Amino acid sequence: MSRPDLPGRIGGLALVALVLLAPTFMNVPQTAIVTTAACIALVALGLDVLVGSTGQLSLAHAALYGVGCFSALGLGTHGVPWPLAFVGAAAATSVTAVVVGLPALRIRGLQVAIASLAFQQFAVQIPQKWDQVKFVGKTFDPPGYLAGVTAQYYLGVALVGLVLLVLAGLRRTRGGRSLLAVRDVEQRAAAFGVATGRTKLFAYAVSGAVTGLGGALFALQQTSVSDTQPFILRESLLLVAIVVVGGARSPVGILLAAFATKAVPGLLAPHFGQGVQLLIPVILAAVLVLSVVLQPEGIGGVLRDLRDQLSGGVDRPVPRPQQTDPVVAAARARSLREVPRPLTQRLPVPALLVARGVTVRYGGVVALADVDLEVRRSEIVGLIGANGAGKSTFFNAVSGLAPTTGSIRYRDRELLPAPAASRSARGLARTFQDMGLVRAETVRENVLLAQGWMACYPAATGMLGFGAAVGTERELRHRADQALELFGLEHLAGERLGDLPYGTMRVVEIAAAVASGPDLLLLDEASAGLTPEEAHALGDRFRALRDELGLTLVVIEHHVPLIAATCDYCYCLESGGLIAEGTPAEVTAEPRVVESFLGRGTLQPEEGVLA
Amino acid sequence: MTLLEVHDLCSGYGALQVLFGVSLAVGEGEVVALMGSNGAGKTTTLRTITGLLKPMSGSVVLAGRPVTGVAPERLVAAGVVMVPEGRGMLRDLTVAENLAVGAYSVADKRQVAESLDRAYATFPILHERREQKAGTLSGGQQQMLALGRALMASPRLMLVDEASLGLSPVMTERAFSLIAEVNRTLGVAVLIVEQNVLALDLADRAYVLEKGQVVASAEGDAVRTMQGRLRTAYLGTPA
Amino acid sequence: MLSALVVGLAIGSAYSLLAVAVVLVYSGTKVLSLAVGEIGAFGLYAALWWHDNGLLGTKPPVWVAALVAMLIGGVLGLVVERLVMRPLLGRPALDSLVATLAVALFLALLELELYGLDPFPAPSPVGDGSVEIGGATLTVTEMTLLGVAALVALGLWLFLTRTSFGLATRATTSDPTVARLLGVPVNRVYVFSWGVAGLLSGAAAALLANVTGSLTPFSLTTALLSALAGAVIGGLDSLGGAVLGSLVVGVVSGVVGSRVDPTTSAGIVFLAVLLTLLVRPRGLFGSTRVAA
Repeated sequence: MSRPDLPGRIGGLALVALVLLAPTFMNVPQTAIVTTAACIALVALGLDVLVGSTGQLSLAHAALYGVGCFSALGLGTHGVPWPLAFVGAAAATSVTAVVVGLPALRIRGLQVAIASLAFQQFAVQIPQKWDQVKFVGKTFDPPGYLAGVTAQYYLGVALVGLVLLVLAGLRRTRGGRSLLAVRDVEQRAAAFGVATGRTKLFAYAVSGAVTGLGGALFALQQTSVSDTQPFILRESLLLVAIVVVGGARSPVGILLAAFATKAVPGLLAPHFGQGVQLLIPVILAAVLVLSVVLQPEGIGGVLRDLRDQLSGGVDRPVPRPQQTDPVVAAARARSLREVPRPLTQRLPVPALLVARGVTVRYGGVVALADVDLEVRRSEIVGLIGANGAGKSTFFNAVSGLAPTTGSIRYRDRELLPAPAASRSARGLARTFQDMGLVRAETVRENVLLAQGWMACYPAATGMLGFGAAVGTERELRHRADQALELFGLEHLAGERLGDLPYGTMRVVEIAAAVASGPDLLLLDEASAGLTPEEAHALGDRFRALRDELGLTLVVIEHHVPLIAATCDYCYCLESGGLIAEGTPAEVTAEPRVVESFLGRGTLQPEEGVLA
Repeated sequence: MTLLEVHDLCSGYGALQVLFGVSLAVGEGEVVALMGSNGAGKTTTLRTITGLLKPMSGSVVLAGRPVTGVAPERLVAAGVVMVPEGRGMLRDLTVAENLAVGAYSVADKRQVAESLDRAYATFPILHERREQKAGTLSGGQQQMLALGRALMASPRLMLVDEASLGLSPVMTERAFSLIAEVNRTLGVAVLIVEQNVLALDLADRAYVLEKGQVVASAEGDAVRTMQGRLRTAYLGTPA
Repeated sequence: MLSALVVGLAIGSAYSLLAVAVVLVYSGTKVLSLAVGEIGAFGLYAALWWHDNGLLGTKPPVWVAALVAMLIGGVLGLVVERLVMRPLLGRPALDSLVATLAVALFLALLELELYGLDPFPAPSPVGDGSVEIGGATLTVTEMTLLGVAALVALGLWLFLTRTSFGLATRATTSDPTVARLLGVPVNRVYVFSWGVAGLLSGAAAALLANVTGSLTPFSLTTALLSALAGAVIGGLDSLGGAVLGSLVVGVVSGVVGSRVDPTTSAGIVFLAVLLTLLVRPRGLFGSTRVAA
């Protein structure tokens, strides 16, 4: 970490001490109230995995909380020891959450939220039929050492601590980055090797497990539950409020919000009467309205700002890439070529990419028609054409993001049947016309995201921090820093991508693509957002990538002069079809190309078309 | 007299600046072409003039009155209407309903009826298809509807964004001749934003936009000889 | 059986009022509003409180209170649009959804704070008479609900297809940017959508609270979810579809809920919503844009 974080650490230590010592100055009812709040805090942390990290709004988490609670009760009242009952509850809730999440494989956004609402309304009815039958008269009796309120409090604190550690592990490793990719760039996550559907279900599973632990703790504390009030719609809405007000992906903020909502009213009630009990949720809801409208990052955002201020005016780095000699920098970064790819996929072949009869149809619209195109190794190939000519569509076809027919052979093997998420592992990397990275994350995290395919350890081991994950992550970080250095971005590694100027973001995107160790790099409008001088310098950069790192480039450019100065070969598309190919000089002299760019005006001063 | 004056306009999307000091003028009854390749900032210029985008700096003046950043729906009442890129069909509405929406800002019922008659007289096919949903029209018919609809508000200035986009060369020629006719018969000034040089044939004045800056302009006969400069601007190769 | 069906139809009519409010806001602004239940409930709480306790020597009869509830609902709708939804224009759909959720939560919790958890007695605005038709007893309130729902649906349909502002509303639904470029004041369309949605919400609250017996915080939001289920099944931007869908949901809840049990009826509705979302995400009569 580049930023000194002393105030944050002191604050954290004080908070931990307060939490650990709390039972010495709280009476029994107070301790019980805080323990109940810990249950809700766990559920909110679980919900945040979906809402904050994956961008899936669940309005069913109170119901899932109930699933955890009743599972633990069911196991506990049948004599299962409590640790097993907890594990069982987490597993049962996890599975239920995955089922609730299944529709998310097919539908998105609002509709996922509606589906979860429908589940909430259905699920909350079930215990009304059930609990009289199965749970009345039975209790989940904890063993002696857990019967006391203080012991339960410490169990709650331990569970929250454990969950915080695990979620921090998730954020730092492959799994967490995949979630963010799904949240922010879902349609393109596959270009980073992220399998969208599996990632979503993984998020639901983790969220459910954490939520289930909250439910189990509640079951242990209450010993019997005969009322579904804690699991109704209102609580689901409150949970969303806690997460949003606390701040997405901000565990401390969420814990504070949960404490304020669920513990503070109860703690204050003896002093101020019952009115307070209801007033605080009202205030929370009002704050929620305000925070959605004013778009701060909740309590977490406030804390971050506060910490930044306390740690003194740290000089912000210049948000532009540092001037480096492209050739020297590229030569120094040659180790980026060392990628864990089988030798058979690295042997030199003359024609790296051969496209034959490539056609892309969206409904009735033919976006690309029967295009033949060849990219030889170590060439820089330009792709030009007017608006809507199909240039980006061709990139989508190659990277598996468009419904494509025809044949695209890469290294002499057919590419089309391969899932989009598998293509970055085969050596394809691309950038997007309008930036395909996660703006809310740091520059370094984005580069790590692009290297996703190299992080081939199970997401769970990364989350729990053991096994191959540790070493792999260290190597990937080193690699990411090398790629940043290559583009003169190392001083910006810790900056939030979204805080940088647009032109710099575009360079980060190219750096991320290069870090993923491609043989073939597809760059979509690399010069957009750059000043004319910067755009010109880009040409030298391209050549250095080819000459020193042995990359092959396909470049879409509107700025045709850049193409002319940089490319070995050039293709021109018009209305989805190829109309010319050759050296840049040949192509720009071609009458049909001229016509495509200028129009078919015969331009004779004396006889205008409409004269 | 100058109908529209744009001074030193800087604009863009969030942190991304697209226009770097664009100035241009459209006289009463004139056809002006704003030429430029993809990404030169043509659409951004129109979006800023109509108030869909707030400029970072610079001003827009309509007939002597400052209208910088005035919302598009209010600009329509002042006599400026835009034909959006891709023709901007209200796809679920019928042809007649599209035309009616075009006259939304006009309170005088008689005037609306006259405009409607004129639109149907100019584009008989629209009358024929008046009950058909706009989304089901062909590209050329949509272009006619877009023009006819824009005329319903009896504008003084019409802004046309890439009329040629997605049209065949023949249809492009038709679209341009319709625009020329509207200009000639109704005296509506037109600012036409294009990549296609055919637009120069109708223009009394032309500007070339490159990377958000006006790099060339011409008036009168000089407009017809702009092709060379455009070639350099688009393709980087002198003619 | 028949009386269960009739009660179901009456409840379904109340749902359809809420569903129309949802559709109106969704077509105008592409916002899925979870607030259009509680907005009316809040108005009704205030109006009934006035009816019970009087204010400045006035004590309105119930029917006036119902009208006042509608009025407060309408004004609240305007306030919410201006203060909460307007600043969110152009933000992702989920942000707007959370905002409406926040408004619902805020209003309901405020009701809880002001009026307590005990159900508020909700007398009928149209009297307690009832009629017997073919073995089923139909209260006047239920009949009024059926009538009002039918009138509202018809009126709104006429408004959208026959008036100039209705045309502007549809143009805004189709493409707000193009509508603006043609001179349609889209902000006024947004204001109108929320205002009418608030009025409808107040009407639904006044009638439904009587049919179900009482008014509690969140009771209208719960009803809204059934209406939402109906609207999703019928098509979120289809007036007729949403009305039909919510009637069906009401009947299913009424018949299955009283004949079998509420769990089964909730299960049926859940499965129907899920199936719709998976098989035909735009709903039976919705346009393709809903699924986008």
